[in-house]
Amino acid sequence: MSGKGNGAGTRYTAARTTAAEGRAEGLNVGWTVSGYLVSGMLAYGLIGWLIGRAVHVPLLLPVGMLVGLAISIGFIIYRYGVQGAVTQPQTSAKAQKEMTGDR
Amino acid sequence: MTGDVTALASGGCHIFSGCGFPAPGLQDFEWKPLFSIGSFDFTKPMLLAILAALVVIVFFWVAFRKPKLVPRGMQNLGEIAILGVRDQILRPSLGRRGDSYLPFLVSLFFFIYIMNVMELIPLFQFPVTSRIGFVWPLVFIVYFLYLYLGVKNQGPWGYLRNMIPPGVPAPIYIILVPVELLRFFVFQPFTLGVRLFGNMFAGHLLLTIFTIATWYLLSLSVGLLYAAGSFALAIFVFLLETLVTLLQAFIFTTLTATYIASSLEASH
Repeated sequence: MSGKGNGAGTRYTAARTTAAEGRAEGLNVGWTVSGYLVSGMLAYGLIGWLIGRAVHVPLLLPVGMLVGLAISIGFIIYRYGVQGAVTQPQTSAKAQKEMTGDR
Repeated sequence: MTGDVTALASGGCHIFSGCGFPAPGLQDFEWKPLFSIGSFDFTKPMLLAILAALVVIVFFWVAFRKPKLVPRGMQNLGEIAILGVRDQILRPSLGRRGDSYLPFLVSLFFFIYIMNVMELIPLFQFPVTSRIGFVWPLVFIVYFLYLYLGVKNQGPWGYLRNMIPPGVPAPIYIILVPVELLRFFVFQPFTLGVRLFGNMFAGHLLLTIFTIATWYLLSLSVGLLYAAGSFALAIFVFLLETLVTLLQAFIFTTLTATYIASSLEASH
C-alpha cells in the first residue's frame, strides 16, 4: 500500500513540478516575445527616424518600424517556432529530479 | 490621499441631490506629509513600506529564531512560506543550483506581497507599489544583480555575445543587435516595473471607484439598487485584488528568477 501511495505521491509531485516549470517558462517566453515585437519596432523605427531626419524623408520612420516588426517576427519564428522552445521546454528528467529532490 | 474625494463623498454627497459624482483619480495617490524634516516629507506610503519591511523581517526572525528539527508554530508557517517560494518560483527556473538565491527571492516576494496587500487591510488601504517610486528601486536591485551575475559568469564580452542565442547567422546577428539591446536595457526593466505598478494602481483605483460609488448612489429610491450593484462590484474587485496582489508578487519574483537563470548560463 505504501508503495502505491509513494508512487502516486511522486507522480503528483512530478506533475506539480512540470506545471511550475511550464508556468515559469511560459511567463518568460511570453514576455520575451512581446519584448522582441516592441523592441524591434522601436529600434528600427528610431534608426529610420534618424536617417529620415538626416536625408529629409519622413517616410523612413514607418518603414523602419515595419522592417523592425518583420525582423522581430522572423526572429521569434526562428527562435521559438523552429526550435520548438515553447512546446518543448528544457524540462529534462535530470531537472525534474533536481527540483523534487530533498526538501 | 488628500481626502477631498472621501470628504466630499462622506459629507452627504448623494445621487439625486444635485451633487456630481466625486470621481476618484490621481489625487487619491497623493498624500499629505505625516511630518516633514526640512524639505523631506514623510508620507503614508513610506510608512507602509517600512511597515512591510518590518513585517517580513520580524516574521522570519520569529519563525527561525530557535529552529527545531520538528517545526512547530511560527516555524511551520515560515517553512511553508520558504518552501512555497522555492518550489513554485526558484526551482522551476534555476533548479537546485539556485538555492543560494533563495533568501533574496523569499525577501523580494514577501516584501512586494506585503506592500501590495496593504491595499486590502483596513486603515492601511493603500498598495505601496501603486506609487512607481517604490517599484523602480526594486527593479534596479534586480537588474543590477542580473547584470552583475551575467558579467561575472560569462565575462563582459561573452555576456554581450550570449544575449543573442548561438547559431544565428552573422548578418542576422548584426541586424538583431539594436533590437536585443533595446529589449534588454529598456523594454525588459520597464515592463518589469510598470507591470507591478500598473496592476496595483488600476486595482486601487477600481476599488476606490466602486466603494465611493456605493456611498454616492445610496438614496431612498432606485439609487439603493444602484448602490447594491456597486457594492457587489466592490466586493468582487476586492476578491479579485486578493488574487492580483499575490499574482503580481509571484510574477515579479518568477521573472527575477528567470533573469538570474539566464545570467548564470548563456541563453539557448
